[in-house]
Amino acid sequence: MATQSATASRPNLDAIKQKIQNLRQAYADAPEVGRIGLERMIAELEAAAGGGQQRAESAGRTGLRQGKVSELTSIVEFAPGGAKRLRALLTVLGGNFQGADKVGTLHDMRFVFIDNDTRLLFATTYDGDWDTYIDDFSTKIPDALDVLFSNMVGYPKKGMHDPAIKDWIANHQLTADAWYVASPNLTVPEARRLEKLGKAVDELLDKIE
Amino acid sequence: MSMLRESTGGNSSTQAPALELQEIQATVLRLRPAPYFGSHVALHVDDAQAGRELLRRLTPHVDSAANWWRPASAWLSVAISYAGLEALGLPHNSLQSFPEAFRVGMAARSQELGDEGVNDPKNWEPLFAKGQIHIALNAFSDSEEKWRRVVAIAREQCEGLAGISVSAVQDFGAQPGDLNSLGYRDGIDQPAIEGSGVEPLPGQGQPIKAGEFILGYPGEAGVLLPVPQPDIFGRNGTYVGFRKYQSRVGAFNRFLRANGSTEAERELVAAKLVGRWRSGAPLTLAPDVDNPALGADPQRNNDFNYANDPHGRQIPFGSHIRRMNPRDTQLTRLTDVNIHRLIRRGTTYGKPYDANALSEADDQVPRGAIFLFISAKAMTTMEFLQQEWINDGDFIGANGERDPIIGRQEEGATFTIPKEPVRRRLRGIETFNVLRGGEYFFMPSISALNWLANLSG
Amino acid sequence: MVSTTAEKSSASAGPQQNKAIEEKIQQFRELFADAPEIGKKALENALHELRSQTSDLPPPVESAGRVGARLGKVSELTIIVPLAPGGAKRLRAFLRLLRGNLSQGADKVGTLHTMRFVFFDNDTRLLFATAYDGDWDTYIDDFIAKIPDYLDIIDSAWDGWPGIRSPGAKDYLVKHQITAEGWYVAYPDLTVAEIKRLQRIGKAVDEFLDKVG
Repeated sequence: MATQSATASRPNLDAIKQKIQNLRQAYADAPEVGRIGLERMIAELEAAAGGGQQRAESAGRTGLRQGKVSELTSIVEFAPGGAKRLRALLTVLGGNFQGADKVGTLHDMRFVFIDNDTRLLFATTYDGDWDTYIDDFSTKIPDALDVLFSNMVGYPKKGMHDPAIKDWIANHQLTADAWYVASPNLTVPEARRLEKLGKAVDELLDKIE
Repeated sequence: MSMLRESTGGNSSTQAPALELQEIQATVLRLRPAPYFGSHVALHVDDAQAGRELLRRLTPHVDSAANWWRPASAWLSVAISYAGLEALGLPHNSLQSFPEAFRVGMAARSQELGDEGVNDPKNWEPLFAKGQIHIALNAFSDSEEKWRRVVAIAREQCEGLAGISVSAVQDFGAQPGDLNSLGYRDGIDQPAIEGSGVEPLPGQGQPIKAGEFILGYPGEAGVLLPVPQPDIFGRNGTYVGFRKYQSRVGAFNRFLRANGSTEAERELVAAKLVGRWRSGAPLTLAPDVDNPALGADPQRNNDFNYANDPHGRQIPFGSHIRRMNPRDTQLTRLTDVNIHRLIRRGTTYGKPYDANALSEADDQVPRGAIFLFISAKAMTTMEFLQQEWINDGDFIGANGERDPIIGRQEEGATFTIPKEPVRRRLRGIETFNVLRGGEYFFMPSISALNWLANLSG
Repeated sequence: MVSTTAEKSSASAGPQQNKAIEEKIQQFRELFADAPEIGKKALENALHELRSQTSDLPPPVESAGRVGARLGKVSELTIIVPLAPGGAKRLRAFLRLLRGNLSQGADKVGTLHTMRFVFFDNDTRLLFATAYDGDWDTYIDDFIAKIPDYLDIIDSAWDGWPGIRSPGAKDYLVKHQITAEGWYVAYPDLTVAEIKRLQRIGKAVDEFLDKVG
């Protein structure tokens, strides 16, 4: 997705001072550690607020994005027996989804069982927009995704082939209020390229030293 | 351990349903003739009844795809934008059943399409402002005489209808050698469509489920793509995208000269940018010199794959044809290439290519490409292509680069030609085709046109 | 839940390994007996693949230390906290001021790949999730050393937060952190520092190749 211009306009100093004032007021009833922390940070916060740094953008219908890297965060209820089944599946896989390498857009992905196994937190970091490759998943890996997500309440009857699937995914997604990425322009293919490059350079240096 | 067993194609093992060719408009399946002539006509509907009367008059002249493979001399097609459907009085429920991208129109999808900077809709020709074009007529022919006749017939139907105005007529084709505005033979590769009635041409690959291109049939996932309602209106219809580009021939020629000191070197650069020599011969089959006979032969000029080119040393990863159809290239992301294909009915307009055009004034001479693309999900596909395969290169190993022919290039853009022992990286590639406007259209079936024409109210 | 030694992979699958897999697969089938139809069907399709892939089991997920999962060098931290009264409002105001961008603080830590703050359950709870390099204790110590005040501003919105300099701080974090049972990282050997190093090398190589090519 085309990103907005990288340099945000610098909000003027008055506006920042007003925002800091509002923040001070908001923290008036905070626990003491919070108020003290805030006072200590005022100067730095003013710099951060005025710094014209890249605002987090939308990753499409839902989710936030920094540069090329987006977040997907979902909390979904387990269907009856779903937690058990998913846990068993993750055990067989050793908790690792190396198969996800093939997907090629995922930086990371976690499955966390919360609220006494009644809900699943599913969170990923991925390249691009939230729905760019969903149709490809539907034709290429529908079974893997159906096995995973049929354990959730309300998963559409026809799974990845159900016309309601995109709505189901979007409706269970939470959009983050803040999203940080250390290297926002580093996509998964670029990281792999750099990894390969690093190895090649090391081998070359070994040969000529 | 991977659970990702990939399907190699559609999941359905059922027989391909027979296409209702007599319902589908001819241009969906009929190939662009060679030589080709034609016109695009943009109409504005001020009065719903007049608009529907026009459709009543036109529809008998709209050709269906029945026997589309037989030589035909000229054919007419009709497509309608969302604004046009509204202007014609399509009922509210029906209007709402269309996908959002179609409803808001191409100008409003500039973010998803990456139409920014020089391609921003605010720079477009006024004809393409949001909601302006209602009905697009398209006439194709293999002869000048028949083309003019078809256009005359279309014109006749508009006569005497107050409440319809012709916003623009763009003639196209009739280029020497059928070359496009950058001097190439184009439009060679097309998807093979299952059940369409003919065998695929060599190199087109396995036929793709008809439902990817025509509404009302199963797609590659084995299910129907969303169909506008009511069924009689949506079935056998499809979506048509229209993007008009101005070719900056001067900039293109300057780039060739900056990167090649002899004509042979320049032609090789030109070939590496596209993946084909100007004659249409693919580099895979003609790696060192052009082969015009091969380029002109539809039985041979597309008969290749990338199995023997895993490093892009014949056809660079970032070249235009490898991006627009990666075939068996190993992509970095799990992709089903078959669901991102388009039927292309592109046409060239304006002055022919001029190898000696070098000035900035030459960049402004009206000439270029009208990119006309057809698919049952044309909006989704074009937006995917723009984001993933055109204005980005990570998917195929052309990291940080964009399509050299239709990509929107930023300052300092490069084009990499993989080569032994060291790759060649060309600097200063510019936007050679600038977007001047575009729109999304719906191309109804013959019955749907009649249904629409006979709506009351 | 971290895999036990019994599930660690060997380079090639011996008959004993296959038997263990078969047993698991049978357990699986039983477990999925009451699954929705779509899941059962998909499982059958996928089991065939499961069997044929047992010879290349990837390294299992390990522990990031006191809490959390780690794959290679990259760990996950997933914390869910109840928000203090007024906490959601304060925290939102703070994040809005920074326009949803936390680089000022996070860049200083230097071992943070990603970080997100997500309000849920009607602003009564907050999810704080990161991917970071290395061991949990070292990471938390780093935060405390480098950006203690940021932490206090943010965490003061959390119900019961004792303050970053309090001896109870780490215990509070452990108490609210949940270890992921599935953790995938695309490039588990690349730390934040290593990525920056490779980016510099990449640039240098490009410049070199441009000269030579």
